[in-house]
Amino acid sequence: PEMARLVHASMAQWNDYHHEDEDVDGEERDESGVDYKSTGRDSLVFLVDASKEMFIMGEDEEPSPFDMTMQCVRSVYTSKIISSDKDLVALVFYGTEQSKNPRNSFKHVYIYHDLDLPGARRVQDVDGLRGEKGAQVAGETMGSGNTNLGEALWCCSNLYSDIKLRLSHKRLMIFTCRDTPHGGDSERDRQARTKASDLKETGVVIDLMHLMKPGGFDVSLFFCDVVSPPEDEAELGLQMEPCGKLEDLQKRVRAKEMKKRSVARLNLCLGEGMNVAVGVYITALQARKPNAIKLYRDNNEPVRTKTRLYHTQTGSLLLPSDTKRVQVYAGRQIVMEKDEVDVIKKFSDPGLELIGFKPMERLKLHHHLRSAVFIYPEEEMVTGVSNFNPFFTMCSVRNVFALCKYTRIRNSPPRFLALVPQKEEVDDGQAQIAAPGFHGIFLPYADDIRTLDTPQLPTASESQVDKMKEIVHKLRFKYRSDAFENPVLQQHYRNLEALALDLMAPEHIEDLTMPNVNMIDQRLGSLAQEFRDLVYPADYNPEGKTAPKRKPAEAAGGTEKKPKVEMSEDELRGHVQKGNLGKLTVPVLKDACKQFGVKVTGTKKQELIDALTAQLTK
Amino acid sequence: MARSAKTALVLCLDVGFSMSNSAPGQEPPFQQAKKVIQKFVQRQVFAENKDELGLVLFGSDNTKNNLAKDDQYQNISVHRQLMIPNFELLEEIQNDVHPGSQQADWLDALVVCMDLLQNETLGKKYERLNIVMLTDLNTPSSPDQLDIIIGNLKRAGITLQFFLPFPVDGGGSNPPHGGKALSREQQQGLEMTKQVMMSLDEEDGLEEVYTFSDAIEKLSVFKRVEKRPMAWPCTLTIGSSLAIKIVGYKAVCEERPRKSWSVVDAQTHQKDDIKRDVVYCLNDDEETEVQKDDTIQGYRYGSDIVPFSKVDQDQMKYKTDGKSFAVLGFTKQSMINRHQFVGTQVLKVFAPKDDEHAGVALSGLIRALDDLKMVAVVRYVYARNGNPQLGAAFPCIKEKYECLVYIQLPFMEDLRQYSFPSLENNKKYTPSEDQLSAVDSLIDSMMLVEEDKDGVKKDLFKVNHIPNPQYQRLFQCLHHRAVNPSAPLPPMDPWLTTALQRPLAVATRCQAPLEILKKKFPLKEVVKKKELKTSKELFGNSTEEPDAKKAKVDEEEDFNLADITEGSITQVGSVDPARDFRTLIRQKSLPFGEVCQQLTGRIEQLLGNKNMNYYIKCIPCIQTFREQSVQVGNADHYNSYIQSLKTSIPVRGLQEFWDMLVQDALTLINKDEVEGSTFSSHDAKQFLTAGEKKEEVVAAVVDDTGDVDDLLDMM
Repeated sequence: PEMARLVHASMAQWNDYHHEDEDVDGEERDESGVDYKSTGRDSLVFLVDASKEMFIMGEDEEPSPFDMTMQCVRSVYTSKIISSDKDLVALVFYGTEQSKNPRNSFKHVYIYHDLDLPGARRVQDVDGLRGEKGAQVAGETMGSGNTNLGEALWCCSNLYSDIKLRLSHKRLMIFTCRDTPHGGDSERDRQARTKASDLKETGVVIDLMHLMKPGGFDVSLFFCDVVSPPEDEAELGLQMEPCGKLEDLQKRVRAKEMKKRSVARLNLCLGEGMNVAVGVYITALQARKPNAIKLYRDNNEPVRTKTRLYHTQTGSLLLPSDTKRVQVYAGRQIVMEKDEVDVIKKFSDPGLELIGFKPMERLKLHHHLRSAVFIYPEEEMVTGVSNFNPFFTMCSVRNVFALCKYTRIRNSPPRFLALVPQKEEVDDGQAQIAAPGFHGIFLPYADDIRTLDTPQLPTASESQVDKMKEIVHKLRFKYRSDAFENPVLQQHYRNLEALALDLMAPEHIEDLTMPNVNMIDQRLGSLAQEFRDLVYPADYNPEGKTAPKRKPAEAAGGTEKKPKVEMSEDELRGHVQKGNLGKLTVPVLKDACKQFGVKVTGTKKQELIDALTAQLTK
Repeated sequence: MARSAKTALVLCLDVGFSMSNSAPGQEPPFQQAKKVIQKFVQRQVFAENKDELGLVLFGSDNTKNNLAKDDQYQNISVHRQLMIPNFELLEEIQNDVHPGSQQADWLDALVVCMDLLQNETLGKKYERLNIVMLTDLNTPSSPDQLDIIIGNLKRAGITLQFFLPFPVDGGGSNPPHGGKALSREQQQGLEMTKQVMMSLDEEDGLEEVYTFSDAIEKLSVFKRVEKRPMAWPCTLTIGSSLAIKIVGYKAVCEERPRKSWSVVDAQTHQKDDIKRDVVYCLNDDEETEVQKDDTIQGYRYGSDIVPFSKVDQDQMKYKTDGKSFAVLGFTKQSMINRHQFVGTQVLKVFAPKDDEHAGVALSGLIRALDDLKMVAVVRYVYARNGNPQLGAAFPCIKEKYECLVYIQLPFMEDLRQYSFPSLENNKKYTPSEDQLSAVDSLIDSMMLVEEDKDGVKKDLFKVNHIPNPQYQRLFQCLHHRAVNPSAPLPPMDPWLTTALQRPLAVATRCQAPLEILKKKFPLKEVVKKKELKTSKELFGNSTEEPDAKKAKVDEEEDFNLADITEGSITQVGSVDPARDFRTLIRQKSLPFGEVCQQLTGRIEQLLGNKNMNYYIKCIPCIQTFREQSVQVGNADHYNSYIQSLKTSIPVRGLQEFWDMLVQDALTLINKDEVEGSTFSSHDAKQFLTAGEKKEEVVAAVVDDTGDVDDLLDMM
């Protein structure tokens, strides 16, 4: 579950971004902008080798290739459930003893899950194939037998063609640790190659997720002719190493599993007649809990909501054109047509317009409004890349950012972006950790910056700063942006999972946002006390409320929460006569009521005052 | 408690006859002053605060004020008492305030204003009393009362602002820019103005004297209503034994308009006449409506739908126990990627202003972090049961203050790690030295930060000084519509358009480098023929191309993209047969005859539906068929198909379709087009029309033989 969680919920609710700002004007809400309706569904088939070799445990208790694959499949299932619940996924085994496919026309191919939405049950199914027990289950239900990859691929191509929905992105991942699946049977090799090329012709992208095998995995023996050619030449070298670790495998699967979708395709206009086609992508955006749906009580089926506008007087239904928009200022209604409200927001056509360049240090850290976007040349366009490249390279060399005016869609008001060049970075395993392109940082307008009264306070002395440095030093860690899960989301999905599977209790989540207080205290030792002695006087309590009145209460430490201020009857009568009971606080009034045996029904201040006044003016 | 503080302000406008005088081609001072007032009042109206405003005209034809007696304080009219400004006032200014034919002493007018202010603010609380004087100072004034007036202003705490047609320091006997020299009265008036202002505020008094033109420019910018920053008191904790009291403030946050649009009935403009009604219905064919009470809440979990009541959810959900600003640890600033910032705000975190000890402690942390180039990674919770955030607290040391700058960082779920093909290690696209140096000089010419001769850096384009154009435009339109309800919306203010453009200096400077750059970038020479058109679209000025041409380019682009995304087309499909046909012909992977056969097969299939929609789909197929046949130089397949099609028209009842072909002049391919054709151009044309006559006859026959239903259908 630990590893699964890494990918679990990985890209939750990208589609629900527009709930972030409850913007009535509806402007800029679909920043994620991906319309799945028009692009069709994504689909992914896991084609997993189930031969004996897949079940051999690695050294040092390393999980078997099969086990690793199942963990990956599970994490993709759960992440799909959360992030893109319209995507279709299938799980097919090859090299099995048993066969299970429509009409069982393909031997040694076992369709475990056909192409469909993943759900809680499927996650549970895959869980059942994990670990030692899972291997046993797999052995019993499917067994290991002959391999005919060609048949398996054929079977997969039927899965795709049986789907009546429009599929936009079709991907097939082969998980295996055998580089010569047919053991030299050239007829079967040929058959598999032909079937693979048939699949590729219908737009299926075939990836190889090859796993470590003793003696190394040689892709050139067979699989190089099966898989789809890489996106670019550079990638070719990177993917040739087999995965030995689950993390690597997951990383690799994750990088491939999501189709990159741009939120906009625009021209970056350098000047009159100088346009470079670019795509705008989102790489970091707050994931949110999805909206609840309404279900019919009797059958738990979702109900549809229909919103209707109707006229209060006549009861007749109104069309949008029967309405107008108003805002009221100084008591006057200002009326506009819906179209006018929209067109007011139009400034220029969609695009990125270069204003000029600034040195990088001019980009202020605190000029942050919302998640940045990522700008990359349109890959399909050769000229996009070749014209983008010099521009990109020089911005990077000169350490400048390009200031651009950004209009995302037709009626969106302009925002200014700082385009910051990002050079490509790869890790030791040659996996890309930072993609090359521009980060587009949204810059604030004058209205977005607030003027603050800054307090004038004394500053720390050198010895005080030095002590704090020791503290900072003790608590250093290496921050990684993907190391923290959102506990709110995790808890929510864990709850749903438990309900869907009738579990007794949801799986426990570890809240990584909580400070590890024990560990911190231990590491700091006496440092905290030493710093406190340096900066605080003995009688200062930094944890007390800002108002000092709380202090005596805490000092008393008794059972009483608040010291009771007994008020003499005369005092109270005085207040009543002067009519300034209202100056007393509610607790004092309540105490006074108790003290004088006044019965009050409500707790509102005026009710207390009225009751007291009634009592004392008798 | 909300502040009851408000301002009382009297606008004192000179409408005397000299205000209408102006040099040829210049706007008279009266018109300028009126604009200042309009823009100012408009701003006040939209701000919707409690400030009160009065309007006094002097030099007016009538007299209406409390002090008027005998020949004293004549031609001064209190147009409006102190009131919260509204649109009626704006309309009055627009329609009823005109230049007069009289003159009045501006000092007298000032006294009237003071009287008005004092009388009407009596017994009420105001934060500020202010008089705004708009005049050309062109009336003789008697300075004897000046000291008494100044004394009264001071005593009553009334501040004063002057708006003049000329600058206060550029005056004297030198003519102001473009205008005539100041008159003797104006010079004298200016001296008195200076005297008044300096005695009210020795140092900055003259800064409250403005010119009309400056004021118009400044007032054109709609000022947002300042929000008082909300303090967020909390405690910064490091483990269990180190705490520092802090106060956070929102420092940067996308400002939204205070008001939103509401929906009204188009006729009555009444909100109450419209009701929005949400109904729930089952997903069945009848769309059976169900009551809201019969619905429960649920969530999707992949293919599962999980009923999950609000009560259960509240009980099971993640809970936080209160506000928090707890340090998890410290990390290098370089480990935090700025492009991964999330959230929609930036907080500045200070110590409470009355707590020196907290100040010292926080300062210790800020300075330590700054020296070490590190940040604190913190858990931030705004309030009880608020969602926890993970964020970075950066040290920020300014000349005047120190603080932590808190920005939210992403959770793992927020990240989408795309990988993109390498740009640098891409041999195909390695930029040439030429190109790099061209971009280099472009950057030089387009630098927005430059050093002046004193070495002071100047930023030509500060985004954080531009008011949000969306709101500027919105208020411009709202104001216009409020006072001109039936007029169309006004064009964008020119100053706003300019403010969003490349600064003129830069635009001029970069012309030459841009031209050079254009030459260095691949266009026709490098790009292959097929990509020529796309590249033009990418790199040409597409907006200048005529529409027809552009449409063609688009189509071509579409075509190329389809090529790439669809994989290779192996047969003429039913979705877009014409396109497939074209692609297959170009690919030459199948014999021409076979491809033609596939296409005609599709056409026949479509025609079998006998439906206009399918006919419409067939036309481009036949068009393409013809086009490609001519291009390939093989007319046989096309001509024979069209001939056989024609003979089958009557039998199949496809007359409607045939008419469409005739209309589009889809004739047989003639000899002039393709050598191998057996038809002359005359024959080819004849073929269509000849058909027509015959068709009529045949059609009639068909009608006769049709059964009753068909006949009825035709009536």
